[in-house]
Amino acid sequence: MTRDTLHALGMSAGYGTTDIIEQISCSFSPGTFTGIIGPNGSGKTTLLRALSRALPCSGLLTLNDKPVSAYTAAELGMVLGFVPQDEERPFSYSVMQVVLMARYLRTSRFAALSPADYERSRTALRQTGTADLENRSIKTLSGGEWQRVLIARALAQDTRVLLLDEPTSHLDLGHQSEILTLLRHLSDEGSTIIAVFHDLNLAALFCDRLILIRNGRVAGDGTPAQVLTPQTIREAYGADVVTARHPATGRTYLMPMTGTDRTTNERLSEGIHVICGGGTGSDLLHFLARRAFSLSTGILATNDSDHSAATALDIPCIALPPFTPMSEETLDELATALSRASHVIITHHPIGTGNLPVIRALEGIDPKKIILHLPEGTNIASCDFTGGVAARILEEALVAGARCAPTFTEILVHISKKIHDKPEEL
Amino acid sequence: MDPAGIISGIRLPRVLTAFCVGGSLAIAGAAMQALFRNPMADPYILGTSSGGALGAAMAVVFFGGLGMPLFAWAGAVLAILIVWSIAGRQGIIPVETLLLTGIAVSFFFSAIVSFLIAIAGENVHQIIFWLMGGLWNVSGTDALLTAAVLVPVSFILFFMGRDLNALSLGEETAAHLGIDAIRARWVVLGSSTLVTAVAVSVAGSIGFIGLVTPHIVRIILGPDNRIVIPGAVLLGGIILVWSDTLARTFFSDLPVGIITAFIGAPFFLWLIRQRGVNT
Repeated sequence: MTRDTLHALGMSAGYGTTDIIEQISCSFSPGTFTGIIGPNGSGKTTLLRALSRALPCSGLLTLNDKPVSAYTAAELGMVLGFVPQDEERPFSYSVMQVVLMARYLRTSRFAALSPADYERSRTALRQTGTADLENRSIKTLSGGEWQRVLIARALAQDTRVLLLDEPTSHLDLGHQSEILTLLRHLSDEGSTIIAVFHDLNLAALFCDRLILIRNGRVAGDGTPAQVLTPQTIREAYGADVVTARHPATGRTYLMPMTGTDRTTNERLSEGIHVICGGGTGSDLLHFLARRAFSLSTGILATNDSDHSAATALDIPCIALPPFTPMSEETLDELATALSRASHVIITHHPIGTGNLPVIRALEGIDPKKIILHLPEGTNIASCDFTGGVAARILEEALVAGARCAPTFTEILVHISKKIHDKPEEL
Repeated sequence: MDPAGIISGIRLPRVLTAFCVGGSLAIAGAAMQALFRNPMADPYILGTSSGGALGAAMAVVFFGGLGMPLFAWAGAVLAILIVWSIAGRQGIIPVETLLLTGIAVSFFFSAIVSFLIAIAGENVHQIIFWLMGGLWNVSGTDALLTAAVLVPVSFILFFMGRDLNALSLGEETAAHLGIDAIRARWVVLGSSTLVTAVAVSVAGSIGFIGLVTPHIVRIILGPDNRIVIPGAVLLGGIILVWSDTLARTFFSDLPVGIITAFIGAPFFLWLIRQRGVNT
C-alpha cells in the first residue's frame, strides 16, 4: 500500500444499535478525487464520518497502514481533515479565530500562535475567496460564506487527506466551481480528497472516481462513466435519466427525464416517424415521447446526438455506423417505417449528399403524411446542401399536400387532424 | 476586638473568599457554556447547587445546622457523581444527554429539599438563607480552601482555552481539529464542577454570577476562551466582592445572591442594549 492511503475493510457503522452502513470495503489513494454519491438516507454522510473516526465503526480502518484507532487525536488531525456540511455557531468568533483553530494542534498549549499560523490561515481564506471576511463575526455570515470558511479551516489544517460532506451544498454556481476546482487542484498535487456529493453532474465533472452507496452498501465503484448509467441510477434513485458525454468537457453528465405518460391514447397511438440529425430532433423526440406517441426515427449515424436521444428514450431507430453510405437494406427498412407511419416529421436539419437518400425516400409516400418543421427564421433552402436537389423534393411535397409547422404545438395540431382531411385552402 | 483584628480576622477572609467564590462560579460558568455550546448554561447545570442545597438542608433538619459546609459539599459531589454515572453509562455520550440528566437530577434533589423545608419547622429560615447564598460565617480557612481549588483550576482551564474554543463549535469538530475531545470534556467538567462544589459548600448557591459574568467578559473582550477564562475569574471575583460589600454595608447583611441579581440583572440588560446580544 502506498502512503496516505485510507483503507476500509468490512466497515460497519451507525447510530445506537442500528447499522447505517454495512460491510463497506474501499480504498482511497493519493492524487484521487473520490465522490461518494447515493440517494437520501443511503449512508453517504455516515460513511464519511466513519472514515474520519467521528463515528465508531466495526471492521478495519487503516491510514498509512496503521489502524486509525491507534492514532492519537493530534496525530490524526495532522493527516486527516474534515469539512462538515454546516456547524453550530453559538458564539461570535471572528472568521480568523475559527480558521486559526486548525493550527491549534501544531502549537503547544503553553505557546502563542505564530505569525506563520496567521499567514497559513490567511492563505486558506484567500483560496476559498473569504479573505475579506477575516474580521467578521461568524454569526453574521451567510450559509455559503460559512461553508467556505469551514473549508478554509480544513485547508489551514494542512492535511494530506481531506473529507468533505457536500462541500458545495450552500454555494452558488460560481463558488461551486471555484471550490471544486480548488479541490481538483489539491488532488492533482497528491492529496486524497473524498467528498459526498448530492449533485451527480458536479461529481461526474470533478471526480476521478465515484462510489455509489445504496442502503448502506457499495452499489457501484468506478469512473463516473462506469457508475453513472441509466440502469444504476434507476436502481439507486428510482429516477429515469439520460446520460451522455458532454461535448465540451468530455465528462459524463446526466439529465433527469420528465415523467412519461405511458397510458396510450387511442387517438395518439398512430405511429410517427421523425427524420432528423445533428441534434435537431432530440427536443422534438422528448416532446413527442412525453405525449406517448408511438415513435420511430432514422436513418441516423450512431454518433449523432439525435441517435443518443432516441436510445435514451427507447425509440426504435434505423441506425448505421458513422460515415458509411446508406445500404439498400437500410433504405428498405426506412421505406417500411415511412409507409407504416401515419405521419412523417422532417426537422430542419442539414441535408447533404450523405443523407439525401432519406429525403428521396419521401417521394414514395403520401405527401399528406409529411410535416416539415421549419422554425421561425428558417426555410427549406437553408437546410439544403445538395445544390437544390433536396429542396426541390421538399417543395414538391409541399405542393402535393405536405404541411409546414414552425412550432411543436403546430406539429401537434397537424397530427391531431385526420390524415385525409383536406389541407386548409390558403 | 481591635480594628486591626477585625480587618485581618474577619473582613480580609471575607473579601478573599468572596473573590474566590465569585471567580469560581464565573470560570465554571464560562467553561460550561463553551462545553455545552449553550450561552444559557451555568455552573449549576449538572445539579451542583441542588445537591449542595440538599446537603445543607439535611444538616439543618437532622443536625441543627452543624457541619453545613461539609454536608453541602458532599451533596454537591453526590449530585455530580449521580449525573456522571447515569449519563456516562454508554461510554461516549452526547453532551445533550449529560445536560438533560443534570436537569432531571436537579429537579429530583429540589423536590427533596422542598420536602425538608416543609418539615424544617422553625429552622426553615436557615435553609432559605442558604439557598439564596451568603458569606456570613466565612473564616480564613474558607479563603484558603477556595483559593487552593480556584488557582489550579484557573490554570488548567486557561491552558485548555483553545480546547474550549474548539469544543464550543462541537465535540466532533474539536476531534477533527486534532483535540482529544472526550478527554478534554472530562477534564473541563471535572475541574469546573470541583470549583463549583467548593464554592457552593462555602457560600451556598449564589445565582447570576456564573451565568452572566462570562457574557459580560465576551461582550467586552470577545469570545476567545484564552481570554474569557482569566477574564471571568477576575470579573466574577470583583462582582462578588462588591456585591458582598454592598450587602454588608447597606442592607444589614442580606443574602448576597439577592444583590448580585438585583444589581447585576439591570446592568446586564443595559450592556445588551449598548453592545448587542452577540456574545
